[in-house]
Amino acid sequence: MVKLPRIPGLGSWRPISARPAQNPHQALTKTPLPGLDPVWSRVVQAKTDDGRRSFHVLDTGPVLEELGVAPEGTILAVHGNPTWSYMWREVLAESVRQAQQALNGGSGRIWRVIAPDQLDMGFSERLAHPEAPSAGAPSYRKLEQRITDLDGLMDALEVETDKPLVTLGHDWGGIISLAWATRHHQAVDAAISLNTAVDHPSGEPVPAALRAAMAPGVLPASTVTTDGFLKVTLSLAEDMDDETRRAFRSPYVSRRGRGGIGGFVADIPALAEHDSRTVLEETSAALREWTNPALLIWGPKDPVFQDRYLHDLLDRLGNAADGQGADLHRFEGAGHLVGEDKDISEVIFTWLRQRFDEPQDQSLASPEPAAEIMGLHDQLEEMAASWRRETPAAVEMPPVELAAPGEQPVTVSWSQLREEVNALASGLYELGVSRGDRISLLVQPGNSLTVILYACLRLGAVAVVADAGLGIKGLTRAVRSARPDWVIGQRTGLTAARVLGWPGRRISVDALSPRATKMLGVEASVERLLRRAGSLASTAAALQEIPAPAAQDDAAILFTSGSTGPAKGVVYTHGRLGALVALLRQQFGVAPGASLIAGFAPFALLGPAIGATSVTPDMVVTKPATLTAAAVAEAAAAGQATMFFGSPAALKNVAATAHRLTDEQREALRRIRLVLSAGAPVHPALLDTVQEIFPEAELHTPYGMTEGLLQADFTREEIHQAAEESASPRSQAGVCVGRPVSGVHFSLAPLDQLGRPAETELLDPAEAPGVLSELVVSAAHLKERYDRLWFTDQQSRRDTKDQLIWHRTGDIGAFDAQGRLWIQGRLQHVITTPAGPIGPGVVETPVDALAEVARSAAVGVGPVGTQSVVVIVEAERGQKLHLPGTPLARPEFAREVRAACADVQEVSTVLVVDSLPTDIRHNSKIDRSALAQWAEQVVAGKKVSAP
Amino acid sequence: MSTELLPPSKVLITGASGLLGRSVAARLAELGYAVTTMQRSASGLTGVRELRGSLTDPDAVARAVEGQDAIIHMAAKVSVSGAREEFENVNIRGTEQIFDAAWAAGVENILYVSSPSVAHAGESLVGASAGAPDPVHAQGNYAQTKAAAELIAQERTSLGTNVLIMRPHLVWGPGDGQLTHRIVARARSGRLPLLGNGAALVDTLYIDNAVDAFTAGLRRLPQLAGERLVVTNGEPRPIGELLIGIAEAGGARRPRLRVTPGVAKAAGLAIEKVWAGASRFVQMPGDGEPPMTKFLAEQLSTAHWFDQRRTRELLDWRPSVNVEEGLARLADHVQRTGSVL
Repeated sequence: MVKLPRIPGLGSWRPISARPAQNPHQALTKTPLPGLDPVWSRVVQAKTDDGRRSFHVLDTGPVLEELGVAPEGTILAVHGNPTWSYMWREVLAESVRQAQQALNGGSGRIWRVIAPDQLDMGFSERLAHPEAPSAGAPSYRKLEQRITDLDGLMDALEVETDKPLVTLGHDWGGIISLAWATRHHQAVDAAISLNTAVDHPSGEPVPAALRAAMAPGVLPASTVTTDGFLKVTLSLAEDMDDETRRAFRSPYVSRRGRGGIGGFVADIPALAEHDSRTVLEETSAALREWTNPALLIWGPKDPVFQDRYLHDLLDRLGNAADGQGADLHRFEGAGHLVGEDKDISEVIFTWLRQRFDEPQDQSLASPEPAAEIMGLHDQLEEMAASWRRETPAAVEMPPVELAAPGEQPVTVSWSQLREEVNALASGLYELGVSRGDRISLLVQPGNSLTVILYACLRLGAVAVVADAGLGIKGLTRAVRSARPDWVIGQRTGLTAARVLGWPGRRISVDALSPRATKMLGVEASVERLLRRAGSLASTAAALQEIPAPAAQDDAAILFTSGSTGPAKGVVYTHGRLGALVALLRQQFGVAPGASLIAGFAPFALLGPAIGATSVTPDMVVTKPATLTAAAVAEAAAAGQATMFFGSPAALKNVAATAHRLTDEQREALRRIRLVLSAGAPVHPALLDTVQEIFPEAELHTPYGMTEGLLQADFTREEIHQAAEESASPRSQAGVCVGRPVSGVHFSLAPLDQLGRPAETELLDPAEAPGVLSELVVSAAHLKERYDRLWFTDQQSRRDTKDQLIWHRTGDIGAFDAQGRLWIQGRLQHVITTPAGPIGPGVVETPVDALAEVARSAAVGVGPVGTQSVVVIVEAERGQKLHLPGTPLARPEFAREVRAACADVQEVSTVLVVDSLPTDIRHNSKIDRSALAQWAEQVVAGKKVSAP
Repeated sequence: MSTELLPPSKVLITGASGLLGRSVAARLAELGYAVTTMQRSASGLTGVRELRGSLTDPDAVARAVEGQDAIIHMAAKVSVSGAREEFENVNIRGTEQIFDAAWAAGVENILYVSSPSVAHAGESLVGASAGAPDPVHAQGNYAQTKAAAELIAQERTSLGTNVLIMRPHLVWGPGDGQLTHRIVARARSGRLPLLGNGAALVDTLYIDNAVDAFTAGLRRLPQLAGERLVVTNGEPRPIGELLIGIAEAGGARRPRLRVTPGVAKAAGLAIEKVWAGASRFVQMPGDGEPPMTKFLAEQLSTAHWFDQRRTRELLDWRPSVNVEEGLARLADHVQRTGSVL
């Protein structure tokens, strides 16, 4: 909530006098304007509806002329309130850089950027204000005038209208620029806006942050008499340095400079009868007719222009780009002043290049899938119609320890599953769920989730699968970014949704009491929908009307683990999930009739699509380390399971609890023919232990990522073989993850001395053995795209080798001469030593093999290109590896670590901690970025607490 | 002009009484260079022409530089005590004297031995490159006067003299009476505290590597005019581990780590106090200096390590003895001779 300072002189108004525009570099003698080149500044006279007015404009036109290059397009950038054209300095700078690059043979288009200070704002002319600002006060500029002011300016600046023209706006400048663009849609070729809003339903309250400033009587004091509004706005930047803050404040330090701020706030048409309301409504309506490209760049931590306005804009811009809709890059972590928080010019110019110069190659395609793709429901239908129809499709295990006597597993047969899926699908349809709606599933894995998920898929709704493994903060961010239309949840999930204000209409899994229904804002329950639909004869008929989803329709949004920055939403279509199913069936021989124990979520959800029975073992889903050997055995027995899918953390706990297995349980585990551990590499020694528990199973540790769940595969035997053969220390450093699975193409983007991957010129693995590279993959089962992260998505798919759609994995590694892939870690964890870049895995693998070490992390400290390697070790229980009172390792142990790495890397420092920070979902991905910062402090000699 | 200075070129080394000067002189003589040394006290070296004299004596300097192909100017006042004037006389005027005489005598090549401290205002150095000398912000009389002298040396490059500036950092090893001996002596008397977390990364230079680097620098001097290079092993190590390693190699018991609250600077002052107090017990023959200077104390409590890429590339040199091996050689030396010296 915004607190405004005590207001002096409330009620009295001292008139403000007029003043012509100024050049800021002349007007300000003591305030530096970092990032603003004085040559961009000019004062121009423009004809407006009430006569000639003087404007201060930032314009790269003259600089380009001086460089001797002709602009090939114009960007008109309009600031909001209470900022000024200073906010566009990076965009101007980029315009000049592009021109300089063009002179040096670069290929980028040359854009002239024009960023005016609006009238009464920045360093433009100040209007006389005999009266205080209020809605309709005559001396203040209105929305309509501000739009037509731009006409005068464009004339005065002699903008060439035969070349591409793009508008760019922020805040109230967003509305003004969009309004201007829609009025001149013949001349304006594209529109870009940062946080703004073009519509506010007149009945709804304005955001609290604005309400305070807009209250009648308070408005003049909060905006003009004091600098309250200004201060509050600038405080919204994540971390702005003092000089920049002073630069932003510079036109508004005195009351006489702030008339426009009050005028802007008074012009917000929150009420139906406001003068500017008609213009606003015209604009918001006109956006529906906008068919040129549009880009939105958004900072979600904005207390005023919240995500609901973004949603509204996306909706209105649905016809942009000839019906494709607006592109959106939503910068997680950024706020109202998104241009200060993030590098928006990179996004803007990349987008412009793609829209005007290098349109995305539409002929790029994914490789053929590993096997024929079936619809995600086809197998379910087949099973339900086959002789297996009464065999279990899904089995949910009761708690092992706390089971009530005689409590049995809950089993759903294939025919039941089909019936329930269809019943729920039609129930949801009647409730109003439609094709393309996003549905957040806050449901624990188990039979209910299976039914709900496949009902959603049947309807063509998009399942948002954000799991609690992201942590409550991560989950909130994930749900907000996906902005579901519906939330289906169990009580805990719905309570969180309520408390944390997640968007979406609510549906509970179980029928709740009227009180709970009201409290949680729930409008239906899965239980009742099923019951009702079951009693309706029309169910089957209703479902007939709903067409089955097509291969290119979105099916699900998964989230990355968030171990390297905020979790990203990853969109899968029906076709791409179908390709994954085909691959799983082929790679692991999972045939219809198989039964798998689902200890690892993404694969587990695919059981019905594969035609395999899904057995949900007793475990806390968010804590894979709670899965015991007994729970797996019970699940194997009850579900006649032949396969077990788990994560390394789950395997570790299974191994640790195996001694408590009864003979009967051991016997049940003999049934398991395939054990699959995904999510992170597994130590060979652990695999050996696991093999003893599952004596008949083939152990696989596939390699993949949320964006492509299966890329390479490896068996325990092959792991041992690779370990024995690894004779070439540097090219076989890290963790071997096996060979590419069928249908997956790998390319390499070699790293340079500073750890940067090659931009073009990708290599084939076969022609570059041992070359440390970013791994680039292409396959039919890769992600369709990142969700609402236009720039991230473009970056990830920027390669075009062999006319394929590629994905930059962000993983680094190398192929050995035998064609096996060795992973060294993540690109952002690369260590740039004087001898060249390495991934942390190069050091961690040999260190982890030491008997005293539970696990380790290697980080680089010091400047890029000459970093020194610090190893941080988590000791095995009972090991005292550090000197008293400091994380510094005892010299004997440090020597041992150095000796272990001697072949591959010089290690400067060995530190010892109680536990390494890890992510929640896998409990296995170490937060190396946090560790690196901590280690920097420690080896600078500073006293710091545990990481 | 030849691009390399090869034997039997004539080389004058000033300040050959310390370990580094002596070792470089001996190595060059061994390689066939015609070596002259000049210092106040006897160097004890054989196979070199030895001149006794002071840098502040113009005639002695003029005689020494006469007919040389190159000069390695190493002589300096390295201590904490003493009047500012003394530092200025030796480090600034002495250097000026050498350069003037060299110019008058037509000596074209000078390898000027400096210190990383000339560019160091007191904060941590983390993978640092060789910064510009800064007589204003450098810490203490030694570093300030060396910085001023380095500026003079730099300036002479523009007058046509080939000047290479080399800045060795914390030279140690058998025979080193400065750092190595003092650490061992303190540790033997049970009074070597390890302060702070002991993890500050410090780059050092093992004596044999230093000799190799200077030899390489002299040979390539004509190509490296105007360069300044920090020279280290390029193996930063936590200071605690280094001190333990040196103390144990010297036959002392393992020093105890004493974790003090407060920041590195406080730790530095504490070291100075403790070590200054110890001067009553541990005195170096002849020099009358406290065994640990504030400068050194600071070196031992904050990170000091350097980017060695350019140094290695330009000198075409790699350290041949790593820290581990250096410690083993030190231990062996102490076992054989009973002393670091």
